[in-house]
Amino acid sequence: MKRAILSCNGLDKPEGSVAREVAIRAAEATEGEIICPVLLNRAPARYKKVISDSSLIVIDGCSTRCATKLAMGLDAKVERKAMVSDAVKASGKPLESSLRLQPNGLALAQSMVEELVRSLNAPAAPAEPLAEFEAPTEYLAVTHDKFEFRIPVVDYAFNENDVWVRVLDGVARVGISDYMQQRLTDISYFDPPKTGTAVDQFGELGSVESAKATFEIISPVSGTVVRVNPAVIENPALINEDPYGSGWLVEIKLTDFAQDQQLLLDGATYADVVKRKAAEE
Amino acid sequence: MADTTFMGVPREKIPWFPTIDYDKCTFCMECDAFCPHRVFERRENGTRLVVANPTNCVVFCRACAKTCGPDALSFPNKPEIIALIKQVRERESAK
Repeated sequence: MKRAILSCNGLDKPEGSVAREVAIRAAEATEGEIICPVLLNRAPARYKKVISDSSLIVIDGCSTRCATKLAMGLDAKVERKAMVSDAVKASGKPLESSLRLQPNGLALAQSMVEELVRSLNAPAAPAEPLAEFEAPTEYLAVTHDKFEFRIPVVDYAFNENDVWVRVLDGVARVGISDYMQQRLTDISYFDPPKTGTAVDQFGELGSVESAKATFEIISPVSGTVVRVNPAVIENPALINEDPYGSGWLVEIKLTDFAQDQQLLLDGATYADVVKRKAAEE
Repeated sequence: MADTTFMGVPREKIPWFPTIDYDKCTFCMECDAFCPHRVFERRENGTRLVVANPTNCVVFCRACAKTCGPDALSFPNKPEIIALIKQVRERESAK
């Protein structure tokens, strides 16, 4: 599939200038077509064919995420995303204040493109599963208005941030609850954590996005991210279709699950939390 | 909302909520438009913004900060809050 790059245009902030540079270099590296966000906004028909024939690389300058918001308004497949302000924080080197690219900005653009190309070229085949998880069979149901939220009764534990965990042989599989996927509605993107990242309980495990909201995944356990679900990267709608099964997000090699368990809820207790949250909405 | 808890700890005992850096905030209201929990409130005919309902904030959620272009929202140190939650829970279970 061809690629197209939808980026922040970078006229009023240094982060934008870097985003623009990343877009140009990413287009060169992937032989992709650059979509002008201004023209897209003004005359979307211009890019209709490009968008239907391509997977998108979306590059935001800052957390206003103009490029992401434009992408959400399209019927487009988003393959990768990058954000300059996050990359600045991760690099530890502040950007120069000039709107023209300076050495730090150029170096950042270079490293962001290298990272992007590396992730696009990464082999699609995942590492071997460390444990075999079977789909849940028994559920509790919490009903609110016309909605029904399902919660597995056995083997699953939850945090109050609507993230589930299931443990087998020292490996935890993590995903979001049926309640949260229904609140988010159609999920269009999963921004995963890097494999090999160490995470604390209640630390961040990336995020999922829908047109309605961005949901930060709060880790129910502490450990090391060993695998990201490739099927969900390819098709984020799996999270909506099967949140406790094929829509799992990451696997984590545990460091101290006994300790983590002190701050986890069983299905019945989480059902009470869902009841309360649904009533408060 | 006064009777809500997080991990069994009364919500008002957990100081987790955003702080607005008014030197950075441009009052674009993206955070307020995003947050479904009415943590923020607009004042002065919608030209100013305050954290009006801090205990409505979902503990450990920082999603509003991710909507903030000028990076004007900050949250407390997470490990310190976790330690505090554990401390209160231990105290409660010892009673």
